[in-house]
Amino acid sequence: MREQYAWRSLTLAGILALVGLSIILQIVRIQNSPEAATFRGRLAQTIETVRTFYPERGQIYDRNGHLLAGNTTVYEIGVDLKSIKDKHAIALAVGMELGLNPDNLYSLMANPPSNLEYLILANYVDSNKALALQQLKIKVAAQTTSGTQSSLSGLEFTPRPQRTYTEGALASNVIGFVSHEGRGYFGIEEKYNDLLAGTPIQIKVPVDPNQAADIPQVPNGTTLILTLDRDLQAATEQILDNSITKYGAQGGTIAIMDPRNGEILAMASTPRMDLNQFWNYSSIYHNASEYNLAVSTPYEPGSVLKILTMAGALDNSTVTPATTFLDTGSFLIGGIIIKNWNDEAWGLQDMEGCIQNSLNVCMAWVSSQMGAQNFYGYMNRFGLGRPTGIDLADEAAGRLKAPGDTDWSPSDLGTNAFGQGVAATPIQMMMAASAIANNGRMVTPHVLYAMVRDGRQFNVPAQYAGSPISAHTAQTLDQMLFTSIKNEASLASVPGYSIAGKTGTAQIPVEGGYDPTLTNASFIGWGPTDDPRFMIYVWLESPSASIWGSETAAPVFSQVAQKTILMLSIPPDNIRQQIAQH
Amino acid sequence: MIRTIDIIQYAYKQAPWRVQRQWISAFLLILLSLSMVAALYLDVTARAALTGRDIQNLNADLIAIQQSNADLETHIATLTSNGAMETRALALNYQPVQSNQVQFIVVLGYIAPQPSTLISAPSLQPSTPTIQPEYTQSLLDWFNQRLHTPMSMSMLGASQ
Repeated sequence: MREQYAWRSLTLAGILALVGLSIILQIVRIQNSPEAATFRGRLAQTIETVRTFYPERGQIYDRNGHLLAGNTTVYEIGVDLKSIKDKHAIALAVGMELGLNPDNLYSLMANPPSNLEYLILANYVDSNKALALQQLKIKVAAQTTSGTQSSLSGLEFTPRPQRTYTEGALASNVIGFVSHEGRGYFGIEEKYNDLLAGTPIQIKVPVDPNQAADIPQVPNGTTLILTLDRDLQAATEQILDNSITKYGAQGGTIAIMDPRNGEILAMASTPRMDLNQFWNYSSIYHNASEYNLAVSTPYEPGSVLKILTMAGALDNSTVTPATTFLDTGSFLIGGIIIKNWNDEAWGLQDMEGCIQNSLNVCMAWVSSQMGAQNFYGYMNRFGLGRPTGIDLADEAAGRLKAPGDTDWSPSDLGTNAFGQGVAATPIQMMMAASAIANNGRMVTPHVLYAMVRDGRQFNVPAQYAGSPISAHTAQTLDQMLFTSIKNEASLASVPGYSIAGKTGTAQIPVEGGYDPTLTNASFIGWGPTDDPRFMIYVWLESPSASIWGSETAAPVFSQVAQKTILMLSIPPDNIRQQIAQH
Repeated sequence: MIRTIDIIQYAYKQAPWRVQRQWISAFLLILLSLSMVAALYLDVTARAALTGRDIQNLNADLIAIQQSNADLETHIATLTSNGAMETRALALNYQPVQSNQVQFIVVLGYIAPQPSTLISAPSLQPSTPTIQPEYTQSLLDWFNQRLHTPMSMSMLGASQ
């Protein structure tokens, strides 16, 4: 009997041992089977989730640390259609807090698009309104009997950053804007979009809180400091707007640059728009080139270009300031007759007189004396016909016809000398003129002063675009332009300060010729001439009060210069001389 | 002789109930040890889970605070914007200064204000690991690491 029990026990133990062994063998087999990798992959998918960490878009400051573009939190408000309890209550609450029509909200929830689990009721909601709605939801939930769903359950809030422009429309032409999708358009926002946006980082994060994981410190997008002076920008925009009204102009632009290093201190242009309402873009602008006239719209600048012609002629030794020319009132070149702005003969003139009286006939003679090769060589060296490289989006290259081009004719040599038949942007003219103000050295205009990344500030050094003329030529012409403003008792002059500059009145090309009545009025000037701190370009489109740049753009220049002097605390010439003596 | 051996064996043979009790004690001891290990494991795991959840919450708080900071900075900038400041200045009867109202005087050693420098504390590099391997590696990983680390480096690591 006892042996029988022993046999049975041994059999049972053997069977159990076999079962155990087979289980172990099966475990080993499965672990090493081809399917194991698939299972491991599936497991990895369920225990980890890939999360993308988006950096905060870099901010934009002016040169004095005033925030121009920052970020705020806005909310997407939606409903989870599966956990929704009371559509009426949600429609009423959302409608009341956000000022939306509750009936529309209710019908939206009652008839959602098929296969939708989450429905957006409102997007880009201001944080104050969203937080008020959140508070209401919490309050309603607190009043609800425990164990039952709140009437506002299913209402969800998703925060997201949104670009905010603290100054509204100020410097809108320079800054540009960011769309809801986070892409920069125009100006700085487009040019430096990659830097501002930063680099998103994707990492695998374990869902299991047992698993420790490094949450990456995603560096924010690069913060940019601009060369703009916010207060000077505001003053410039105000002067531009007042001038457009006063002179009945269709539009205009004013740019202020430090000619020593190319820093743009202010750049105002019309029209402007509130960057916080960028969706109005298409109703304000008809095409992209209107966004910033100073860099995107080439035009025939007229007589302001005479300073470049004279610079080339002086540098080339074709003329000296004392060279005389007998102005008979007309000059034949390339089969066309060039006349002066008042159709009169000005008699014997030296080169200073030619510039001061803005004589087209004289300048056409000067360019003809230089010859096409020399003249266009200098215009090329001044950068006409190609972008300056300013760090703003959508810069236009302008147009400089030259011998060899199919549309160039010999008469262009004469007309180009006084700024007709050639198209340039205001910023191109400023870059070219910086060579005269800056002892022959031409600067590349730029808007970026510095960038801040990883706690370090990297200042942008000044860049030079060559020396088209010698220092001696620059100083000679600078003196000629200073004398010209002084002798003429120009409306551009600024009491107490030495200013060099030139007016421009240009006919506007239309189909088949030039508009008989409308002109573009311009002025370019800088000061103080012995140590230039500012260069100002004024362009008024088709002023109706007067067609002449000397009567419209010149006084605007003076106003802007006086404001610039105040804002930059530039002492008058006599004080600066005292400082120099110490 | 054989009888003598039997007597001795019998004299020293433990009672069956005593043997059973020893077996039961040994089994209970093993069970207790396993229970203690399991309890310890559960305790550590629970605490790790709670800490993990806390970290997740702290990260969410950090993001919320960063957003709040950005909001506040933008709000302050809006309150001190050019337009707002001009309105406040005019309300306080300030007037824009004109160029003929300004007097410049020579002050030796005066240094004009320079453009802004916006430098903050250096932020962490994204590749910098913040969690030490001791918190993530398993016992096998640790053995593996020790086996594959040259002795001199191990000793150097220990001396540090």
